[in-house]
Amino acid sequence: MFQIDNPSNSFEWMIFLVKKYSNMFIQGTWLTLYIAVIGTILGFVLGYVIGIIQDVKISEGDGIVKKTLIRLLKTIAAVYVEVFRDTPMIVQAMIIYYGIRQMGVNMSPVFAGIFVTLLNTGAYMAETVRAGIGSIEIGQREGAWAMGMSPMKTMFYVVLPQAFKNIVPEMANTFLTNLKMTSVLNVIAVQELFMAAKTVGGNYYKYFEAYLVIAVIYFVLCFAFNKVFNLIEKKMSGKSDYVLAVEYMDNQ
Amino acid sequence: MGESIISINNLSKSFGDHEVLRKIDIEVKKGEVICIVGSSGSGKSTLLRCINKLERQTSGQIMFNGREIRDVQKEINHYRSKVGMVFQSFNLFNNMTVLENCMLCTRRVLHLSKNEAFDRAITHLKEVGMAPFINARPSQLSGGQKQRVAIARSLCMNPDVLLFDEPTSALDPEMVGEVLNVMKNLATTGLTMIIVTHEMAFARDVSTRTIFMDRGYVAEDAAPSELFTNPKNPRTREFLSRYLAG
Repeated sequence: MFQIDNPSNSFEWMIFLVKKYSNMFIQGTWLTLYIAVIGTILGFVLGYVIGIIQDVKISEGDGIVKKTLIRLLKTIAAVYVEVFRDTPMIVQAMIIYYGIRQMGVNMSPVFAGIFVTLLNTGAYMAETVRAGIGSIEIGQREGAWAMGMSPMKTMFYVVLPQAFKNIVPEMANTFLTNLKMTSVLNVIAVQELFMAAKTVGGNYYKYFEAYLVIAVIYFVLCFAFNKVFNLIEKKMSGKSDYVLAVEYMDNQ
Repeated sequence: MGESIISINNLSKSFGDHEVLRKIDIEVKKGEVICIVGSSGSGKSTLLRCINKLERQTSGQIMFNGREIRDVQKEINHYRSKVGMVFQSFNLFNNMTVLENCMLCTRRVLHLSKNEAFDRAITHLKEVGMAPFINARPSQLSGGQKQRVAIARSLCMNPDVLLFDEPTSALDPEMVGEVLNVMKNLATTGLTMIIVTHEMAFARDVSTRTIFMDRGYVAEDAAPSELFTNPKNPRTREFLSRYLAG
């Protein structure tokens, strides 16, 4: 068998490190998942809100207050999306973490990590949602408007459910990206997987093996989630047949 | 014929420099079935979309039961719940079944109970012969079936006026008949209808009044017996001769 206690090759070193530092790897995995899941979900919510704001049309009949408010919201949304899409997440993490600390607010690295992830996700998601809404032909809305549905109700009952279906693959993609992007959060001292590998690798100067361990963990996580998302997508595509309501067949 | 229900006063609409509607005046009385005919690009569809406020007129006004419909979203929503519209491209909600299509707006706009909305949906789906298909999705229906569902969906709102924007133009010839039959039956119920169509025989037989539009103007507005047999306007004559010859 392998010389686990006295490792001689890379594979044995990996097993050695996993055994010895299982706690660190488990905690790193947990934190990576925690930040990715919460950051992504909150980011999705933000993305939908921003995406919907960007889609709101100002109509001539609106009052001056409403018009100004919508314009203001749209401007804020546009600036936010632009700034977060045009800067690297690792830089955003540093600026937000140290910036908020300098303002005298004590913020834990994990909280900052979630905050950065959600802001980053929100910006990308806003674009995805905007495109998703745009992909639904205008007739869908006109059909609802023509029967007196307000633009907001139309958005929620008709447009968003269809847009959502179209952007599920992109949402899955975003989540997988986030799962991997949490690795940059080690720069603000979040004890996620990357940080675990860095620490563990440093103890024995076995960086290659330590990073190989987390590479496997990242891979397994992403692979598993991918399978789950594929299943969800299949479920959502719906049935291709329908049941005739025979009770209404007469009197035709 | 009863009192005026919709009156269009001096309505104009331009897209940029392009004038699509020019000073349209039309008075629609309760129970009238008005067919609007004319060549493509004459502004028929735009007029109908202006009536439903899907397009904002450049000038002029639209009155409903004697009151002007202003460009305030709430007023527009309320007005639209009484003036339905059937589209050339059906516009059934793709994320819903036939039944859900017919119940959404009665539930969310008229705030009917689930049972009331269901009963209404079934009643009108039966009327158009689509009740057995309540569980189907739009993508599973033929064009004619979709359009019949769209008509039922509009009827569920109990509209005072129903607008039809070329309801059979996207259908193949075999399906045109089933939709026109539904519309013929509706016309006999006393529902006020404004129909933009290229089906001349239908306009001649079913409408109580036919309007011929040309380059954004109402060129002729007369009873079908008059307009089809004895058109006054040279453009009407030209248009009809081409249609009746072909």
